[in-house]
Amino acid sequence: MDLLVTLGPHLLNGLALGLLFALVALGFMLVIGVMEVINLAHGSLFALGAYVAVALVSAEGGLGVAVLGPYFELPIPARFVVALLLAPVVVAGVGMVLEVCLRRTYGRDPLYGLLLTFGAALVLEELIRLVWGPTERFLPVPASITGGITVGGLIYSVYRFFASAFAVGMILLLWLFLQRTRYGALIKAGAHDSEMVRALGVNLTRLRLLVFAFGTALAAVAGIVMAPIWGVRPHVGVDAVVPAFVVIVLGGVGSFWGAVIAGLLVGLVVGVTGAFATAWSLVSMYILLILVVTVRGRGLLGKKSVLER
Amino acid sequence: MALLEAHGLHKRFGDHVVLEDISLAFPAGRLSGIMGPNGAGKTTCFNVLTGGVRPDRGRVVFDGEDVTGLPPHAIARRGLARSFQLMNVFDEYSALDNVQLASPAVRARSFDMLHDLRRDAGAQDRAAAVLARVGLRGKEHVPAGRLSYGDRRALEIGLAVAAEPRMLFLDEPTSGLGADGTARLAELVQELRRVLTLVVIEHDMAFLFRLADRISVIHWGQVIAEGTPEALRADPWLARAGLGGAI
Amino acid sequence: MTAPGSRQLPGWGSPAMLLAFAFFGTLPLWIERVGLYRYLGVEILVWCVFALGFNLLLGYTGLPSFGHGAYFGIGAYAMGLTQFHLVANLWVGLLAAILAAAVVGGGVALFISHRRGIYFALMTIAFGQMFFFIASKWTSVTGGEDGLLDIRRLPADLGPVAFDLTSNLAMSYFAFAAFVAVTVVLWRLTHSPFGKVLRAIKQNETRMAYLGYRVVAYKWASFTLSCAVAGLAGGLFAMAQNGAYVQVMSLQWSGVVVLMTLIGGGLVSFWGPVVGTVVYFVARDLLGAYTESWLLWFGLMFMLVVMFKPEGVAGLWQDLAARRAARRRARTGALQPAAGD
Repeated sequence: MDLLVTLGPHLLNGLALGLLFALVALGFMLVIGVMEVINLAHGSLFALGAYVAVALVSAEGGLGVAVLGPYFELPIPARFVVALLLAPVVVAGVGMVLEVCLRRTYGRDPLYGLLLTFGAALVLEELIRLVWGPTERFLPVPASITGGITVGGLIYSVYRFFASAFAVGMILLLWLFLQRTRYGALIKAGAHDSEMVRALGVNLTRLRLLVFAFGTALAAVAGIVMAPIWGVRPHVGVDAVVPAFVVIVLGGVGSFWGAVIAGLLVGLVVGVTGAFATAWSLVSMYILLILVVTVRGRGLLGKKSVLER
Repeated sequence: MALLEAHGLHKRFGDHVVLEDISLAFPAGRLSGIMGPNGAGKTTCFNVLTGGVRPDRGRVVFDGEDVTGLPPHAIARRGLARSFQLMNVFDEYSALDNVQLASPAVRARSFDMLHDLRRDAGAQDRAAAVLARVGLRGKEHVPAGRLSYGDRRALEIGLAVAAEPRMLFLDEPTSGLGADGTARLAELVQELRRVLTLVVIEHDMAFLFRLADRISVIHWGQVIAEGTPEALRADPWLARAGLGGAI
Repeated sequence: MTAPGSRQLPGWGSPAMLLAFAFFGTLPLWIERVGLYRYLGVEILVWCVFALGFNLLLGYTGLPSFGHGAYFGIGAYAMGLTQFHLVANLWVGLLAAILAAAVVGGGVALFISHRRGIYFALMTIAFGQMFFFIASKWTSVTGGEDGLLDIRRLPADLGPVAFDLTSNLAMSYFAFAAFVAVTVVLWRLTHSPFGKVLRAIKQNETRMAYLGYRVVAYKWASFTLSCAVAGLAGGLFAMAQNGAYVQVMSLQWSGVVVLMTLIGGGLVSFWGPVVGTVVYFVARDLLGAYTESWLLWFGLMFMLVVMFKPEGVAGLWQDLAARRAARRRARTGALQPAAGD
């Protein structure tokens, strides 16, 4: 019982991580559902979101302070909100460029799409290194959500509570979008069936572009919220795509709540491992991937998923 | 004596029951047909028999041996070959290379990392013989991707034949072929049936009725009728269901 | 029975191979005259070996491994560790490098051989990152972030005569010898029945299964062989650099070999990886003089190649050759379509 209690803060950490992993995975899954594209660069866009946020919030973040001096005089909470709104838009723009590049690989051997997104992931990581440098960056966060609260002799991070609540909110919003709106319905139907979509009068090209933008924006938002937890380093991109994939394999391609639950599980594993050996928490994700893919085998119903092409 | 038997095959995908208590028997040396509308379960049945899909219940027995749930390569090695409806050849390889790969003799040497197959005259000749048999003489060195549709169909069957099977499954072999192609295919099938046990799944009922010794009709995941072409043609119930009547 | 007019290739080589040997064999003699330096020749040869082995997996079997730097690194460490703790013998070191990488690679392959596509790719990333992590943390064995230093270039002792490899010139020739050996072995392998099966698996894995091939076994062998070659390259690299460093096991370096192999045309040609390696190093040294971010440009070039000409440089070359052959045939009025190889 004692052990469980001391795990408290780590469980909270795991919860926050898990919900954010779920968010990243859901964005990843939207793209798979509509376009059957596995975007290896999804993680890099997660990282880019964090970096753009750093540029928008931190005075040393990369934007010319001289040019935008007045902006940086705004209080941090204001800049943080700006970052949460603007950075995903920027990243979505990059995502759309990537989708346009990917068009040339549609209908061909899936190996090409895989290679292209891998190349994009490398390019994005180098770009980040070039613009922001290889050392770790820091995302300033409004003071109201920093610090800790003491419960039962243990210190719980306020930010982790905020991150969890925010992620829950985003997940619910996403769910509502998919359930209640027309575009959401199209996406849910796994609208990669061109015949059906065109019959409904929807422009498939535009749908793909928008879904890609949307999926990457979700990744960016997760990246921003994750930044104070994971740190902002160029390599974070690779570290982010792995849990997204694990979540989808565990939860099933196309299952919304499956992804959420799987995300929580993965987050808890990573968080709890962090309790025992911080250096090992990231590696635990890789080990988890290996275990999950080895054991999970074919997937749910004996049916091939798009992941197996 | 049935070379291949299926007993009580049952398969469901999610909520959808695709095969329900299917039992079939394919006698050695005969040409058996399977027909039925799309979505009836023919393809799944086929996949279960050839190893691509594992049934939830039931058994598949090939030449007295229980092969239920064995993977495709294991069933293929026991002498059961199949062709595909959606063509499944090696586009970058020439017709000759395609067929060579299928030969059990070549497969036995497939971990040979030293020699060059082009120097093996025996392997080359055997492959050329198969191509001649399916009507591709003279086209040995054309890359499969560049063959005409009819020739690709022939190669598709050639691959299965080159595996030197005891039993050959043909999955909708007349798909996309015109009258000439179908006639050519019928000739090939007549030639093959003298040495192989054949099972043909077909939509083209005229083709099947002309060639098959016995036909099984699968609909709604079940075998709803079975018999010689004459018997089925005369069956009024089938005629009303639109199967078998107007030939 | 062969196609009329087809080249009856000698079993052990080809005109392109002689050209490659001439090019690399004479490289140490003229490389300084074109404004480059001897050590570059060594690096290029070592990476050519790595890329050639890697292409067995990517170009021939169609399997994307994004974590191959790990096996390169394992080979490098094995070379150093053998030298320090076992026996200071060049041949033993190289053998250890090959075996260590092959054993680890073979173990990993057991997990991934029945996969392809994204599952395969992500598993290779996961394993690669795991080994990278282990190498970084196991400081007592690997020297951690600093690396395993002071690896000596031991003499190539052939019994009656021994060659001192300390100079870059001698090292160039030794690397060249390794390159020749690996090229000849891989050439033979890719033209053997085994090679044919691999290429067939790349084109149509399902059909191969239905033709009775236990596909998993071939994929396992392809992966393990490519790791063994990577290990050899790593061992050579450790000698050349006088050290084994953890960076080569990173995703960056694993990615670089993918980039090289594809841009050069590994998907369609045996020589693609060699061409790609040369292109990479020339780009690195030329572009690197102007900008820190030349890897970014190389990555962008890679993306453009995948989008517009995934057959790479070798593919362009093959197109030119095909067009020339077609023109010649049109002139002579021949009707046979070209034989593919």
